[in-house]
Amino acid sequence: MIRTRNAFVPYLFVAPCVALLAFIFGYPLVKIFEFSFRQIRGFTGPFVGLRNYQLILNQPTFHDAITNNAKLLLAVPIIIVISVLIAIVLFERVRGWRVYRTILFVPYILSVPIVAVVLKNIFQFNGPFNETVRALGMEFLALDWLGDPNVAIWTIMIVVIWREVGFGIVLMLSRLLGLNAETLEAAQLDGANWRQRVLYVIVPQMRGIIEFYAVVNIIGMVAAVFAYVFMVTKGGPGTSTQVMELYIFNMLTRNALPGIASAVSVMLFIAFVIMILILFFLLRRSRSRELA
Amino acid sequence: MTGLAAQPQAPLALPEPGKRDWSTKFTHAILLIAVFTALFPSYFMFTTSFKTNEEYRYNKIGLPQQLMLEQYGEAIFQNEFLRWMLNSATYALGSVALSTVVASLAAFAIARMQFRGKNVLLALSTSLMVIPPVVLVVPLFLFFVQLDLISTYHGTILIYAGLVTPFSIYLLVSFFRTLPTEILEAALIDGASPFGVLWRVVIPLSAPALVTLLIVNTLYVWNDLLIALLFLQDDNMRTLMVGISVFQGRYNHQVPLTMAGMVMASLPMLILYIIFQRFFISGLASGALKG
Amino acid sequence: MKSATALSLGATLSPVMKPFAQSGVDLSMWYWGEQELPGLQAYVDQAVAAWSDAGGGTVDVLLQDTDVVIPQFQTAAAANNAPDVQFLWNGIYHMESVWFGYLSPLNGLVSDAVLAESGATDLSHFEGNQYRVGWYPLQMVIFYNKVLFDNAGLDADAPPATWDALLGACDALVSSGVPAFGGGIQDGFWGEWYFGQALAQSLDTPGEAIQLFIGDLDFREPRYRECWTRLEELVVNGYMNDDMSSLELYPGIDKVVTGDLGMSLSIGTRIPADNAAMDGNLGIMKLPVFGQGALADKPIVDSQGLGISTNSANKDEAADFLEFLNSPGQLDAFWNVTSWMPSNVNWDSSVIEDPVVQQAWDEWNLGEQAPYVSNLIPAQFWTDAMFVASQSIVGGNMTGEEAGEQNARVVQEWRDFNPDLVENYQKWAEDLGN
Repeated sequence: MIRTRNAFVPYLFVAPCVALLAFIFGYPLVKIFEFSFRQIRGFTGPFVGLRNYQLILNQPTFHDAITNNAKLLLAVPIIIVISVLIAIVLFERVRGWRVYRTILFVPYILSVPIVAVVLKNIFQFNGPFNETVRALGMEFLALDWLGDPNVAIWTIMIVVIWREVGFGIVLMLSRLLGLNAETLEAAQLDGANWRQRVLYVIVPQMRGIIEFYAVVNIIGMVAAVFAYVFMVTKGGPGTSTQVMELYIFNMLTRNALPGIASAVSVMLFIAFVIMILILFFLLRRSRSRELA
Repeated sequence: MTGLAAQPQAPLALPEPGKRDWSTKFTHAILLIAVFTALFPSYFMFTTSFKTNEEYRYNKIGLPQQLMLEQYGEAIFQNEFLRWMLNSATYALGSVALSTVVASLAAFAIARMQFRGKNVLLALSTSLMVIPPVVLVVPLFLFFVQLDLISTYHGTILIYAGLVTPFSIYLLVSFFRTLPTEILEAALIDGASPFGVLWRVVIPLSAPALVTLLIVNTLYVWNDLLIALLFLQDDNMRTLMVGISVFQGRYNHQVPLTMAGMVMASLPMLILYIIFQRFFISGLASGALKG
Repeated sequence: MKSATALSLGATLSPVMKPFAQSGVDLSMWYWGEQELPGLQAYVDQAVAAWSDAGGGTVDVLLQDTDVVIPQFQTAAAANNAPDVQFLWNGIYHMESVWFGYLSPLNGLVSDAVLAESGATDLSHFEGNQYRVGWYPLQMVIFYNKVLFDNAGLDADAPPATWDALLGACDALVSSGVPAFGGGIQDGFWGEWYFGQALAQSLDTPGEAIQLFIGDLDFREPRYRECWTRLEELVVNGYMNDDMSSLELYPGIDKVVTGDLGMSLSIGTRIPADNAAMDGNLGIMKLPVFGQGALADKPIVDSQGLGISTNSANKDEAADFLEFLNSPGQLDAFWNVTSWMPSNVNWDSSVIEDPVVQQAWDEWNLGEQAPYVSNLIPAQFWTDAMFVASQSIVGGNMTGEEAGEQNARVVQEWRDFNPDLVENYQKWAEDLGN
């Protein structure tokens, strides 16, 4: 530890950081609570108690937003399974794995709006994907990817998965490259087949990173899909791809109801805190059980 | 910290030819599908950008019959990709620089000094990493309008710097803690001030962590859409991501032109990726592994 | 409703314009429109330079982004930072700012002649005051492809005027092998355009529309939900293009231009380029009539406009600038730079060469118009009712009757979310009720 002549010095070091965090995080996190109890026009408005919350909780559009975020959570296991599978394949037995890694990471290098615009065109009803499957006689696959309210949210999910898996593979692979090679080779020499090695030797060792990546993705599906939805469907058709971030954005901009937007922000924030606590509790419990 | 210099060990060798079973074919099939899926949209974007509107109507996925460059002319000269890119780069580099300075100071104090409240500070800052920006934008937006900070470089850089700082602190604290104490103490004995130790000893030793920060945080700012939409309303201040949204709204009826724009928009990161591939991959992965 | 005669009379009687600001005060102006009218930015730059040359001082301009035109202005106005001159969409898109006290009445600031002749439409009025000066018009039209009409054995010079005639024309087009009616609804604006034209047919006054949107009248009534049941009829009969749900607005209109679709909703500003691309085979028409309301069969014209903020310290100079934009020289310059018409009825239209553009000016702008009632939609009705119902009906997932129910429910939600606005809407409904 560095001892300073003046006990005040460490505080000088952290002061700019504290000020910045207080401004960007602290102030808004306090204010959303205050705003959420007011019917705001412009910057302020009368105190209305829990009315904003009541209104939102009774609104079908808000229910749709929550449901759609929940549906997107299904992408999490899919992203993880694909990432782990491909990472293991690359790690185990493929010549030129670096080249593959370079290629498979490309989707993640493309920004979300670019990915969204390109895939949106590919999934047009009379676009390249549908024309191709029609030509191959697989008419049943030629769905109205963007225009059918029962399909659109899954289209968004496909777009999300397509991009995020690029990162997942690289992450899993870098973890694998740090694994204890001796255990793996021992298992191979013991005559364990591929499936056994993967399930009983490799995956258990990746547990930590998989759990971490799951948490990251869960957070992402709940609160970091705005760019995808905004660029691909803007919430439509109908409310079939409405999500909470877009709901807040619309309430703040179009509907000019910052009070309502704040109430949703508060609920999202609280849901987040609870979710994170539960996740960490579960992770810790599974850890301690392992140790026991 | 594995660091960038650490060479990953080689993957396991292929099994001997005789052992090839169905699973080998299976894995090859998986890789083939994966590569195709990963590259097809880029292939589509690229080939379509050279077609005429007429050709795209009947030839959606084939190679272009001739290379039409007109779209690129219009995408470049009728639009402001260059300005959008410069703006994005300004916000990204400005906020990364600000955040790195602020976070280095704080992380150094947290990792290497004794003061009351430092554990609370670290715990609070770390937990802010999971707060999504969308819960912060309503008060920030109203506040920025009041202060007339909308559509300003300094206002935007401040927001982005704030958003990436919790991660910067977390990464730097864990990195600073790994530095050997003797070096720091030697510098102190030579009469360096705490700031001098940070500036002359710690920072030069922290290149791997700083590169990771640069990559992770730059990509975060570069790719953001929500903040850019709300806080940058002047045409001249737009970022590339908002520019893409505007561009596709303007030309959504001309798919080849749209794709030419997308090619333009993806070039900066693709070029950087091709040149600095290792740094991207290890930087992002170690950022996540440490986060 | 304005009539052509009244307007031209007004033009003759309008007083000689006073000379423009001598003061040289610096003004600020926020505007939008380059997005829909390329060249507008160039025009504004030109106008600002001309204004300066005329001794009017500088104008600091800012081109705004679509998503933030309203919130940026409103929040700035609440902080007393609003610009002197603000771009204003018609109807509710500026009326809420009027109610919050952010916009100054223009009566007494801007000359009565300019107020009357600039083409601001009735939706700019509240309690006897006018809050916008018109800038440029947007005629709500239906595009049709004359070649496809000929191929289907239809008279391309006599497009369908009644709903039955429309159904007949659709049948003929479909039999000839092209989708008859549609476009692209993925981004929702097609729904707004359709709703604005179709709902008007059931209304006697625009005030009636407001009463619907605030729940004083009921969308579940058959005459009011008829706009949705008629849309359902087109869908059920199979007249729409099959990719309508996945296409956006403008690519949908392009299908008419490229000969892949018989008819689509469109807008006046698209006429010059599209008619040129179609070698003069573009036709325009009103939405064929099904409704019994007094507004049915009237051409619908919307306009973009400009207003003056309450916190402006230079209201007189700002008003002079607005008058300057409506001076003959600036109206001509508008056409010269943007290739589109200004909305001021005094504009000399003899420069128009395209007969379809001329038709739009003569029949829509100079004719007896109806305002565009989609501009009376509260934002929440737009996102949660209009957007949802139109997309769901076109996708075959909702009936017209269900849409009426859905709309009525959202209206009630809006009332709950915005109790402070109901009274103003009611006053406005009275203003627009006759």
